[in-house]
Amino acid sequence: MIVLPLGILWFGAVLLAILDGTRTKNALLAIGLLASALLATIWLGFDIVANGPRSMVIGGWEQGVGITLSVDTLGIIFATLSLTVLLAALVFETANRVRARVFPALVLFMGVGLTGLFFTGDVFNFYVFFEIAMISAYVLASYGETPRQFRAAFLFIVVNLLGSMLFLISIAAIYHITGRLDMAGIAAQIPLVAESPVLLIATLIFVAFSTKLGLFPFHFWLAPVYTGTRPSVAAILSGALANIGSYGLLRFGADLLPRELADGAPVLIVLGTVSIIYGAVQSVSRHSPSEVLAYSAIGQVGYIMIALAIGGEVGFFAVILYAVINGLNKGLLFLTVGLRGWLVGASFVVGAFSVAGVPPAAGFLGKISIFWAAIEDDAWSIVFLVFLGSALSFLYMFQLYQRRFWIAREDEVESSRLPQVIVTALAIGLLIVGLWPEPLLDITDHAVSGLLDSPAVGVSP
Amino acid sequence: MTLILSLAVAILFASGAYLMLKHDLVRLIVGMVLIGNAANLFIMAAALRIGDAPVYPIEDETSDPLVQAMTLTAIVISFAVSALVLALAYRVYIAHASVDMRELSLAEEEQADIDDTLDGEPEPMLDVDDSSIGESSPVGAADAGEAKTR
Amino acid sequence: MSDRTVTTTVLTQVAARILLIPIFVVAIGIMIKGYVDIGDGFSAGVIASLGVALQVMVFGPEELTRLPVIQRAPKGTFLGLLIALLTAFVPAVRGQPLMTHWPPAGEAAIHFGTVEFITAVAFDVGVFLVVFGFGVGVTATLARAQERKSSMAGLFSRPGDAGEAGERS
Repeated sequence: MIVLPLGILWFGAVLLAILDGTRTKNALLAIGLLASALLATIWLGFDIVANGPRSMVIGGWEQGVGITLSVDTLGIIFATLSLTVLLAALVFETANRVRARVFPALVLFMGVGLTGLFFTGDVFNFYVFFEIAMISAYVLASYGETPRQFRAAFLFIVVNLLGSMLFLISIAAIYHITGRLDMAGIAAQIPLVAESPVLLIATLIFVAFSTKLGLFPFHFWLAPVYTGTRPSVAAILSGALANIGSYGLLRFGADLLPRELADGAPVLIVLGTVSIIYGAVQSVSRHSPSEVLAYSAIGQVGYIMIALAIGGEVGFFAVILYAVINGLNKGLLFLTVGLRGWLVGASFVVGAFSVAGVPPAAGFLGKISIFWAAIEDDAWSIVFLVFLGSALSFLYMFQLYQRRFWIAREDEVESSRLPQVIVTALAIGLLIVGLWPEPLLDITDHAVSGLLDSPAVGVSP
Repeated sequence: MTLILSLAVAILFASGAYLMLKHDLVRLIVGMVLIGNAANLFIMAAALRIGDAPVYPIEDETSDPLVQAMTLTAIVISFAVSALVLALAYRVYIAHASVDMRELSLAEEEQADIDDTLDGEPEPMLDVDDSSIGESSPVGAADAGEAKTR
Repeated sequence: MSDRTVTTTVLTQVAARILLIPIFVVAIGIMIKGYVDIGDGFSAGVIASLGVALQVMVFGPEELTRLPVIQRAPKGTFLGLLIALLTAFVPAVRGQPLMTHWPPAGEAAIHFGTVEFITAVAFDVGVFLVVFGFGVGVTATLARAQERKSSMAGLFSRPGDAGEAGERS
């Protein structure tokens, strides 16, 4: 059952790699495969919420010897989110005509990598799936093939390859000090070893994942890449691929290295604060829509960091909720960049409200959960900061709307209907989540309780 | 032994990082390969025990086979990535007759001017045949897939 | 590329020709012996594609179209990946963990000489095809790059720039 989504995606990706993806027929096949993998993931999610996490050791080896696949609610949430964004981007690109024959196959390969890394219980296996997703992203970043895209792709590859190598080195270091590669084993061993080497490793992991996320000192690659790539690719990178960062920080920080996460909390708060302010100020001063969105992405990561630093039940709750909603927001907004028309304008408003945290859009939930976490923590400066950040994000989103949708230009051509409908569907999804948030809140709650009292942590070896 | 290995890792990483700061794409790729090798060497150095090769029949104390498996996987992945990046650099070279990042950014500015006047989504500038990247990219991803299944 | 072809001596050409078949034999040997000795599908694939790379270096990219095996190798990548995936995922359909091999450990397998036919062998054949196809594909891409470059030399006005250095290295 665990393998169903992975199997569909993997076989589908190989099949599509042979076929010509520029044909609508094959692109539709890819959409069908991706949608069925998404349904399989959701089905698996229902089962996991009802019966608890599932795991499987590959090849029938003993626990701790073979590679473990294990799925808990956290993994399901992120897998569902990523597959949804991938699906939206693929449908969008199909409606716009696919330009490269490998595009659908690459989207599916990225789906393999992402679901794989959300479903794995082995740190080295995590790295391998991570690379599958990254390699697809490297190729996708050059999709379009103008000088801008090439330069963006190179920048993206260089920076992220460096991040991957740091992550690989930290995995080897974890293996060296604990002698384990399975997450359950590592979580049991880490409390027994001295803190200083683990702190070093935790820093490396933090740098690797922050690079993926584009947190403040590691953000420099983000704006040129997100503005340089095509809208659908930017949506994939920011809505699906960036989830690796938030999931990785939760999995490695909250699950495997909780002691080091608590030590690093002040640093996270400082970096998160700088990120929020930097992202917001830069966004306000930018003009082109994709640039505003790219800098806004840097700002949004700051909220995730602050929630992670607050930690505990409310903190992690806010991290998951915010990451999910942020992924959907970014997916929606980047897709609207290339489009014109009143439906797009309305969808953009929903996305903008969501980023600014105005009800009834879903972003309100994310913001309120961070408020709640900060109040719980008695951190009034953070409450103020989140408020300031939201006000600024409202400002830049409004500026963007004003620039793009209020002023009617003569040469403006309304985009074709189908992409508009897709974007609208995403926007309606965001509204539904905002108006009827109980399912999302429940499953997030479930994920947090799974994270805090997972059998891996706290079991004496 | 640890000192030698860590020095080697440090030197490889440093030279790779230095090359990555260059404008020439090929140097940049060589830098990436060097850093990849530094990571591989680090994995080998992280072995729990260093002895003879872990090959049957086992006589003396053997090395830790797990790190070797990990290194092999990492080598496969970095091989795939470097092939991909080389293909991409070649693609850039065909389109712009240059592998210099600065010239590429000049071309980008020109393209941006064109885009501004058109105010549409950027169209592909050169329609070169799809064969080179179209072939190498799924293979690269496929190879990473292969690495996983090991 | 054509200049380079001229500079290869008869000695290298003969050696490359003579070595091709032994390289393939060694590759297959390594792949099959992987279950009792050193080796596996990956190293076999690398060795075989190095053999092809040697031919291309000595005789030029036309070599890639001469042998049907080499010509079809890049397509074989997908076949190999499919075989490997099937051996990995079929046990899951039967309710076993992924990649459980069949027949299970300790049970009798079909023998061919000393070679045991278990599904793990099929997996390794898949890996071999993937790696071999990938190696040949990369060689083909780079060889075509060389050819393209020499044919394009007159097309661009800056032959002395960094691109030259890149192609040479």
